[in-house]
Amino acid sequence: MKWHDYQLADTVSKTTENITLWKSEKGILEIEANTLALPVELDGEAKGFVFRGKGKLLLDAIVETDKGAVGKSVEKELNKSFLMLGSPVEVQPRLGPTNRKDFERLELESQQAFVSEAESLLDEFFDGSTHNGRCIDKSGGFVFAFPNESDRLDILVAKGSKLVYTGVDRSFVSHGNKVVLTSPEGVIVSHNGKSIFVSKCHRHIH
Amino acid sequence: MKIDLSEDLKEEMKRLKEELADLKEKITEATEMRRRKGRGIYIDVGNRVHDYVEDVMEGVAEGIHGELEKSIFIGPRGRSIRILGPHEPFENEGKEVGFDKVAEVMSALGNEHRLRILGELMTGGKYINELQEKLSEIATSTLSSHLDVLEGAGLVVQERVRGRYLITMPGRSAYKMARRVTRFAERRSQE
Repeated sequence: MKWHDYQLADTVSKTTENITLWKSEKGILEIEANTLALPVELDGEAKGFVFRGKGKLLLDAIVETDKGAVGKSVEKELNKSFLMLGSPVEVQPRLGPTNRKDFERLELESQQAFVSEAESLLDEFFDGSTHNGRCIDKSGGFVFAFPNESDRLDILVAKGSKLVYTGVDRSFVSHGNKVVLTSPEGVIVSHNGKSIFVSKCHRHIH
Repeated sequence: MKIDLSEDLKEEMKRLKEELADLKEKITEATEMRRRKGRGIYIDVGNRVHDYVEDVMEGVAEGIHGELEKSIFIGPRGRSIRILGPHEPFENEGKEVGFDKVAEVMSALGNEHRLRILGELMTGGKYINELQEKLSEIATSTLSSHLDVLEGAGLVVQERVRGRYLITMPGRSAYKMARRVTRFAERRSQE
């Protein structure tokens, strides 16, 4: 299958209240009520959603060192279709039926327009991937994919305190007190307060 | 039968004396070398090995420099080593300075309350209520605007999720610079 056996469901729903899809010490991802939700299924079971509405991702992609902090928080308004793969239990009880106005409000001509967006998103997400999609299902974590301003996908993978984020200009990997950040400022690797920082521009470093 | 060995002996004695002198000279050299360098075996191979090692080290240094150009290593106790190329000017010598950025940073530093905030953040990241507690002489609303100015100048960064404020690398440098300037000014006023 072109999406590693994943399929889109037939029915689009909408969220009936604000939902926190993911939260950890370093980040939070929330969507507002009236966000469209199209289930992504594997073997007939919902394993995630494609959402379209209003939402926000906050991620503290910052590394603390004894020479000062490096990096910044990522703040991303989620107003385009984005993908979530992971446990749907938080979402499913907070879904309700949609009507025409829900699509018009988001400048979508019809439900089919949203489904087409969702298909394109999955095409891009699975394009060229060699991994077995079922690994995502079994990991117990979450995978999010958001279109960015460079027409590519920002990816966030999170499981417990572990997270990996790749965006347009930065990548951030965190696992407990181990952190790696690549940003326009440079590359920093930190573990237990010990850090190596390779700066791309030493103008800011003394 | 009488054999005259006097000439041969004289020649032999002369040769032996020369060899003895040569040996004494070598022993003296070896003793001197040992005194200077401690125990070991010394073989004079001229400059070849030295030149070879220098060539290799130069190549290694260039390779390391290429990879870690303009870099900083931060050790567990805050010790840092800058790796600069052999002919690289220190800092941004010769480069155009962004005076607008400099002015923004200096402006951010040009306030006693903001310097106090940086001083507090030098000891670690803090929430705004912790800063308020430590800096009770600054009104809450003013504290927020000071933090905005410091953040705008890149001296402070806020964790949006947890809300903590952290001093950045440039922030630490700027604060240390401000303290050095203060000490200099104090010394001048005492003279």
